[in-house]
Amino acid sequence: MKSLPNYLQAQRKRLALSQEEVGFLLGLNGLNKGNKVCRDETFAREPSLLDALAYEVIYGRPVRELFAGLHHQAQQRVAERAKVLSFRKVRNADARREQTIIQLAELASVNQPSHDPQ
Amino acid sequence: MTHNNLIRILAIAPTARGFGYAVMEGPRRLIVFSNKSILQNKNERTLVWVEKFIRRYEPAVLVLPAVNAADTRRAKRIKQLQQQLVGLATKHKLKVKLITATKVRERLLGQIRGNKQSLAEVLAGLFPIELAPRLPPKRKVWKSEDPRMDIFDAAGLAVAFWPK
Repeated sequence: MKSLPNYLQAQRKRLALSQEEVGFLLGLNGLNKGNKVCRDETFAREPSLLDALAYEVIYGRPVRELFAGLHHQAQQRVAERAKVLSFRKVRNADARREQTIIQLAELASVNQPSHDPQ
Repeated sequence: MTHNNLIRILAIAPTARGFGYAVMEGPRRLIVFSNKSILQNKNERTLVWVEKFIRRYEPAVLVLPAVNAADTRRAKRIKQLQQQLVGLATKHKLKVKLITATKVRERLLGQIRGNKQSLAEVLAGLFPIELAPRLPPKRKVWKSEDPRMDIFDAAGLAVAFWPK
């Protein structure tokens, strides 16, 4: 099963917080701070790195779990690029470099980790 | 239908006021749940919302109440809406699962008799963090049904989808 891009709404409801309250905690300004949180939750907007880290602090869950779908997408893309990199010939190749690239390329075959919103 | 615990389902419970909806990933993970009030052009607007949810949550199965079952009496509009929802699911290549009210009661209460309040209380017990805060007080006979009950209708369908 493909994960959803994020599980922010499930985590917010777990903590019984309103969108406006989460917006305030994120440091968003203005009367429509709840709207931005709503857009994050409905996948209409991808939050900035600072906002993503703030979500981690608020909900007490790692970013990779909160944004499980995006994490998986990033993982697959890195793995694809690592495969390409593994074909590149380098003089005096370092064993650590080879091992790192092989490990990253193997991520493409790793199934999506199960997400537990509880 | 073979049940796979690694699928996402969307349950829709159409009501006189609008509809309730619930998204589950496996039998223990209630991801999203709420209700929508729709006052005009109810069927058209419900279809627009459900299509939006299908695109957003990409479920594998659409779970609907079996409105033509022998144990159920529903309005003509709801029956038409159900047919339209099945058509929408076909358009998006989703499987459709129709669940009777009796099956929901059997699954949650362990018997075929029971009222909506007792079903809602069982669901609140199953999902104490998510659903317990949304549990409406017991309805007085002179009052109409609380809109929050739509959420429990949808959640009941979603839970009854999974085998025990």
